[in-house]
Amino acid sequence: MLATVARYLRLLGHLARYTLNRELAFRGNFLVKVSVEVLWLGIMIAFYRTVFARTSNVAGWSEPDYFFFVGCYFALNGLVETLFFENCNEFAELVRTGDLDFLLLRPIDEQFLVSLRRIDWGTAPNVLMGAALMVIALVQKGWEFDLVRVVTFFVTMACGTAIAYSFMLILTTFTVWMVRNQSLMEMWWMFSSLARYPKEIFSGRWAEPLGNFFTYVVPILVVCNVPSNVMVRVLDPHMVVLTIVAAVVLLWLSRRFFQYALRSYRSASS
Amino acid sequence: MAIIEAVELTKTYRVFQKKEGVLAALRGLYKREYREVRAVDRISFAIEPGEMVAFLGPNGAGKTTTLKMLAGLVYPTSGDARVLNFVPWERADLFRRQFSLVMGQKNQLWWDLPAADSFQLHREIYSIPQAEFEKTLGELTELLGVAKLTRQAVRELSLGERMKMELIAALLHGPRLLLLDEPTIGLDVVAQAAIQKCLRDYHAQRGVTMLLTSHYMRDVEALCVRVLVINHGALVYDGPLSGITERFGESKLVKLQFEGPAPEDLGRFGQVVRREGPFADIRIERSRVSEILSAVLDRHSLADVTVEDPPLEEIIAKVFEEARLDHDAA
Amino acid sequence: MTPPDGLAAPTAPAPSPAAPLLVEPPLRQSPPRGVIATLKKHTKIVRVSLSERMTYRSDFLLGTILRFLPLVTTILLWKSIYESSGASELAGFRYREMIAYLLLTHISRMFSSMPGLAAGIARDIREGTLKRYLIQPVDMIGYLLSYRVAHKIAYITMSFLPYAALFVLCRGYFDGFPDALTMAAYAASLVLSFLVGFFFEASVGMVGFWFLEVTSLLYIVMTLNFFISGHMLPLDLLPQPWSTILKALPFQYMAYFPAVVFLRKITGWELVLHLLLELTWAVAFMVLCRGLYRLGLKRYSAYGG
Repeated sequence: MLATVARYLRLLGHLARYTLNRELAFRGNFLVKVSVEVLWLGIMIAFYRTVFARTSNVAGWSEPDYFFFVGCYFALNGLVETLFFENCNEFAELVRTGDLDFLLLRPIDEQFLVSLRRIDWGTAPNVLMGAALMVIALVQKGWEFDLVRVVTFFVTMACGTAIAYSFMLILTTFTVWMVRNQSLMEMWWMFSSLARYPKEIFSGRWAEPLGNFFTYVVPILVVCNVPSNVMVRVLDPHMVVLTIVAAVVLLWLSRRFFQYALRSYRSASS
Repeated sequence: MAIIEAVELTKTYRVFQKKEGVLAALRGLYKREYREVRAVDRISFAIEPGEMVAFLGPNGAGKTTTLKMLAGLVYPTSGDARVLNFVPWERADLFRRQFSLVMGQKNQLWWDLPAADSFQLHREIYSIPQAEFEKTLGELTELLGVAKLTRQAVRELSLGERMKMELIAALLHGPRLLLLDEPTIGLDVVAQAAIQKCLRDYHAQRGVTMLLTSHYMRDVEALCVRVLVINHGALVYDGPLSGITERFGESKLVKLQFEGPAPEDLGRFGQVVRREGPFADIRIERSRVSEILSAVLDRHSLADVTVEDPPLEEIIAKVFEEARLDHDAA
Repeated sequence: MTPPDGLAAPTAPAPSPAAPLLVEPPLRQSPPRGVIATLKKHTKIVRVSLSERMTYRSDFLLGTILRFLPLVTTILLWKSIYESSGASELAGFRYREMIAYLLLTHISRMFSSMPGLAAGIARDIREGTLKRYLIQPVDMIGYLLSYRVAHKIAYITMSFLPYAALFVLCRGYFDGFPDALTMAAYAASLVLSFLVGFFFEASVGMVGFWFLEVTSLLYIVMTLNFFISGHMLPLDLLPQPWSTILKALPFQYMAYFPAVVFLRKITGWELVLHLLLELTWAVAFMVLCRGLYRLGLKRYSAYGG
C-alpha cells in the first residue's frame, strides 16, 4: 500500500519536473501567463477596493475578512488550475481523437493519468499570490494567532480543493458523451462562479434556499467559504465536518462516475 | 496453452442518424434514429506463444477493432477472449504490464519531451529495474540506430524516427505479447525495412508473440508465417501465408501507358481489364510477366509501366468464395 | 500524444468574474469575398451550428443551465453590496440600474469584441499568407472589415433569441425602453463601438509587423480592457482621478458608454458631444491602423516577405 503511494508520488515528481522543463523552454510564454494572472489579481483587488470605499461591509464581511476570502479563492483556484485544469481540458480532445486509449493501456490508474499528466506551472504563482493576499488581510485585521484555526484552515482548504477537483472531474467526464467539443474552460468558469463569493450573499426569499442547495446538496459553496470562515470569522465545527464529509463523498462519487464513463467510452469506441 | 484465445468475438455499435435541416434537428431533440453496424462478427481463433501472426484485410474490415478488444480497450458486444490468461477488458494491472500495443501514425510518447524522458516515465510506470532498463534501452537504440536522437524532442523527429521510438517504448518493459496496428503505414521503404528487421530480430532473441494488422502484403510477407484474413468483420481464412501467396501468385496487374493510343490486339498477352486512350491494364500470369513485357516493348513504345499485385479486395473475395464453396461442400 | 493542430499558443486568460454570456465561435480567416457572399456563408454556418447545438441535447441543456449561474451570483452580490452600504444610490446608480447596466455591457461587448482578429492578422504576417491581400484589388483592412460585419450580423442574429429571453426574464430591472431619440443614439453608439473595437484590435494586430509575439501583448491588453472598459462595474464608481482618466480613454466605448446611453445617464448636448468623441476615436484608430499597415508593408517587402 505504502509502496504504491510512493510509486505514484515518484511518478508525479517526474511529471512535474518534465512539465517544468518544457514550460521554462518557452520562457516568454510563461512570463506572459504569469503577468496575466497578476493582472487578474490586481483587477479583483481594484474591484473590491472600489466597492469597500462605499460600504464598510459586504453581506456581513468586513474589508479585511473579505480580502482574506478573495486571497483564499485565488490560491485555491490557482492550485486547482495548476494541478488539474489543463489535463481536464485536454480530456475532450483525447476522447475525440481516441488517444485516450493509450492512457488506458498503462498499468497505472487512469484517473491519475487523466488528472495529473501535466502540471501547469504558469498558474502556480497564484497560490503564492493568494497566500500573500491572505497574510496581508490577516495583518490588516489584527488577527491573533490561533493554532486550532490554522490547522483547521489547512484541513478545510485541502478538502475544498478536493471538492473543487471532484466537480471539475464530473464536468470533464460529461465530455465523454458530449461529442461536440464544449469548452470545459467555459463550463468550469460558470460553475465555479458559485465558489467565488461568500455564502451570505444568498439571502432573500428565493436566494436562501438556493444557497442551501449549493451548500448541502451540491456543496460547491463550502469550498472557499468554510476555510475563510474558520480562519477569520466563526469556526463552526458543523461546517468543518460537512466539508470533510463532502470531500470524501465527492471524491468517491466523481471517481465512480469517471470509471462508468470509461466503460461507456470503451463500449462505444471501435 | 494458447496465449490468445478468441471465441465468437463480436462487436456491434449504434450510429446515430443525423438528418439535415433545422426542423429535423428539432425533432432530433426528442426522438433519435440509429442503425446498427457490425464491426466484428463472431471471430474465433487461437494463437500459441511465440507465433508471429498477421491480421490481413481491407480498410474497415474490423482488424483494429479486434486488436483493441484483445488489448482490453473495447468491450465486445458478445463473445469471449483470453489473453495471457486474463480477460482483457477487465484490465488487470498485471495484464497491462505484460503486453504492448503500437499504433501506426499515432504517437503514445509525450509530444514536447525528448524521447529519453518518455522512456524514463515508462520505466517508472512499468516499474522496470534500473539496470535492466538501461541494458534493454541500449540494445534497442543500437538495433534501430537512433541512439543519438533520444535527446531530441519527439515532435522534431521524422515519422520513421518517431515510429522507431514508439517501438522502443513498447519493448522496454519486456512484454510477452506485442500487438501492432498498421505499424509501417506512411513510412518510406527504408524505415519500413528497419522496423521489420527489428521486429524479426527481437522475436528471434526473446520469442515474443506478435500480432500485427496490416493492409500491406509486404509487412506480412516480411514477418509472418500465419495469416488471419478478415473481411466485413468476419474471419475468412486462418492458415499459413503460403496458402494466400498462391492466390497472389496467380497473376499480376500490369498497367501500361503507351506513347500513342493503346493498340487493340493486347488480348493475346493476357486478360485486358481496361483500355482507355493511351492506357491499358492487363492481367498476366505471374511467371510470364517479364516475357510478355519484353514482347510488348519490342512492338510498341511505352511511356510508363507499372506492375502491381491485384487489389487485396479481389484476392480476399476469391479466398472468401473458395472458403464458402469448401464450407458448402463439407 | 497525436500532434496538436496548430502552433502552441499561450493559454487564454481566465475570464473575468462576469464572463460573457455567449462566447463567439472562433473565426477562421478565409479567402476574401464580397459582403453579401460572406453574409450568406455565415448565415449558413449559423444555421448549421444552431442545428448542431440542438442535436446534442445534454450539451445544450447543461450549457444553458450553467450560463445562468454567473448572472445569478452577480445579481446577488450587488444586492448584498447595496444592502450593506445602506445607500440607495452608488455613484448615481440605483440597484436596479446597476443590474441593468451590467446586462447592457454584455450587449456592448457583443458589438465591440473581435475574437481572433488581431491573432489572425499576426498569423497572416508571420506565415506569409499576407501576400494574397497584396495581389487582390481590395486591401486587407477592407476585406477584414466586411468579413467582420457579416460575422457580427450572423452572430447577433443567432444570439438574439437567448438574449431576448434573458432580458424578458430580467425586465424588472429596467424601466422599459427609452424614447426613440435615445434609442437612436444607443444604436449609433453600438455601431461606433463596433468600429472602435475593430480598428483598435486591427491596430494591435498590425504591431505583428514589428513584434512577432503580438498575441501575448494582446492577452495582456484584453485582460486589462475587461476592467477599464467598464465591463465589471460602471466607471463612475471608481474614485477620482481614475474615473475621469478612464472616461477619457477610448476603452469605455467597448462596454461602458453604450450602456449609460441606454440608461439615459448622458443626455442632451453632452450626449451629442460624446457620440462625436466616439466617432473621433473610431476615425483615429482607423487612421492608426492604416498607417501601421502601410509602414508595416514597406518593412515586410523590404525583407522579401
